Amino acid sequence: MPRSTPVPALAAPAARVHDSLVLEPRDVRFDWDRLPLHWIPDEPMATHVINVLHLLLPEGERWFVKVFKEALPLIRDDQLREEVLGFIGQEAIHAEAHQEVLDHLLGQGLDPRPYVRQVAWLFRRVLGDKPGLGPARRRENIIERVAFIAAIEHFTAFLGNWALNSPGLDRAEADPTMLDLLRWHGAEEVEHRSVAFDLMVHLDPGYLRRVRGMAVSGPLLVHLWVRGARFLLAADPTLHGRLKPTWREAGRIAKRGLLPDPVGSIRSGLRYLRPGYHPTQEGSSSQALGYLATSPAARAAAGG
Amino acid sequence: MDLLNPPPDLYGRPRADTFMRRLTAFGDRYSPALGSPLLRRNPRRPLSRPTPPLQLAVSARRRLAADVVELRLADPSGGPLPGWQPGAHLRLALPSGRERHYSLTGDPADRTAYRIAVRRLPEGGGGSVEIHDTLHPGTRLTARRPRNGFPFCAEPAVLLLAGGIGVTPLLPMAREAQRHGLDWRLVHVGRSVDTLPYTDELRALDPRRVELRTDDEHGVPTAADLLAHAPRGAAVYCCGPAPMLTAVQRALGGSPATALHFERFGAAPIAGGAPFTLRLGAGGPALDVPADRSALDVLREARPDLPYSCHQGFCGTCEVRLLAGTPDHRDRRLTPEQRAAGAVLPCVSRAAEGETLVLDL
Repeated sequence: MPRSTPVPALAAPAARVHDSLVLEPRDVRFDWDRLPLHWIPDEPMATHVINVLHLLLPEGERWFVKVFKEALPLIRDDQLREEVLGFIGQEAIHAEAHQEVLDHLLGQGLDPRPYVRQVAWLFRRVLGDKPGLGPARRRENIIERVAFIAAIEHFTAFLGNWALNSPGLDRAEADPTMLDLLRWHGAEEVEHRSVAFDLMVHLDPGYLRRVRGMAVSGPLLVHLWVRGARFLLAADPTLHGRLKPTWREAGRIAKRGLLPDPVGSIRSGLRYLRPGYHPTQEGSSSQALGYLATSPAARAAAGG
Repeated sequence: MDLLNPPPDLYGRPRADTFMRRLTAFGDRYSPALGSPLLRRNPRRPLSRPTPPLQLAVSARRRLAADVVELRLADPSGGPLPGWQPGAHLRLALPSGRERHYSLTGDPADRTAYRIAVRRLPEGGGGSVEIHDTLHPGTRLTARRPRNGFPFCAEPAVLLLAGGIGVTPLLPMAREAQRHGLDWRLVHVGRSVDTLPYTDELRALDPRRVELRTDDEHGVPTAADLLAHAPRGAAVYCCGPAPMLTAVQRALGGSPATALHFERFGAAPIAGGAPFTLRLGAGGPALDVPADRSALDVLREARPDLPYSCHQGFCGTCEVRLLAGTPDHRDRRLTPEQRAAGAVLPCVSRAAEGETLVLDL
């Protein structure tokens, strides 16, 4: 049984931003055999709101990988290309790690497939390749999707930063393996938080592109999350459909430190629209990299 | 999966899902609209330019220890160099065309020059010998901007473990730790005192925090011996030969330390490889893969935009499809079904001697 790993404290002057990091995927492993259905004990609502991640991320991150592979030939800078390649590898591993949890949910009698089928349709059909576009339109579609991803990555870094600073989850005795998954993933999101934004600006520095990315991705993500939480609470065989998610309840759970504050999350989305925004302004690389050096899953990967 | 019929309602009601239907309609209008004015990259804006390589010249050279020289590299016109943080390295293009990574070992506050230290390895790939024999003050070089694969997180307690020339990235970390008043220790191991560089500079920071452990005097240390120097709850930063790092990784669990940082070098050396051939498409060009190079390395010369990431056969980014030939799968990612369908990861997978793999590229 892995121990719960508290996020290490940092000395005050640690660099919040690390320049020009070399990004590489980590070959993590998790053992889900003993994961309880409500892995935050007695907190089904908080558990399932966070579980929406496992519904969205496998398909979503595979789509990131596909879009970024298509963007590679458009990149004109060697360092950015290397960062994008590191990003692709990390996202590919994230997708598989969350897929394992999804498979585990099914084994516990919660069938996620109706929702996952919709997510797959969204990423493969709605946001997938459109046949019959000429080269210029195809190129514009690739850049537009990179802008969607840059906006989503703003939220993943926000959530990652929250996961690294969420002692409420430790207090509630959340499952240590799941906490390690959330914090390992969150730390890599903070580690690579600039890549999608830098790629977007490299391909199109226009402000309109950035705004469109957030205008489409932000509301869609919020809506998918609410739908996902409602779906999981309804599909949970132990709850018999008694629990319905409400914003008021989410706010109360957030006050106990088990979810990010909903209002704070939306404010964070608006910060993305500030003209001088850059992802390095949020979160701490030192904290993220410090966690990765202690994470049981990342350390097991390093040991080979 | 079925990409023609929208997915059914989430709760089993007998109709297509309204939200999905609306999203699909939105997507079908949005994609073709991109490219029209206001929904495209401003065509008057110039394309982003690639970052040019750094032009450097050797400004000083000194001998640090048996077989170790230090070079100072500066901008030939005396301008300031791009900044860096402890743990960063420089990728140098040597006059012969070889490219080599060296950790920056100077002070990040000094923007006038980069310092690197190089041990002469007569049995190595020739880069260190070239530096020792041909780089003298005035020699011009190009380099990529510093990048960091070994970032220093300034935890309150740190143990820096250096094996021989592996001290180079740790010296700037020790400086930063001292500057910030962290509880730090540095243990430097090597064959004998005259082979260890930077002893004086380290001792000048704080002699009580630096320990030299040489094999001729103390015997070869175990990883547990080294980790016993860690303050409780310390973060360990280890840089040295691969066996040292592996031993430290294994021994960390039983030590007072709780975190381990090290620089990861993607590709492991190829074990038991034989030369074979790749063909790009059924009638395409043939590429020879020598025994000591990966198929991915060879492929990238022909296809520079081929995606790849981990170099170790676990992330699946470099997947290519096989048209003919029998591969020797060495990855940890692909399922038997994916392999049966022709998937191969060229970063690690190979083929028997003389075999030809025909790839769908």
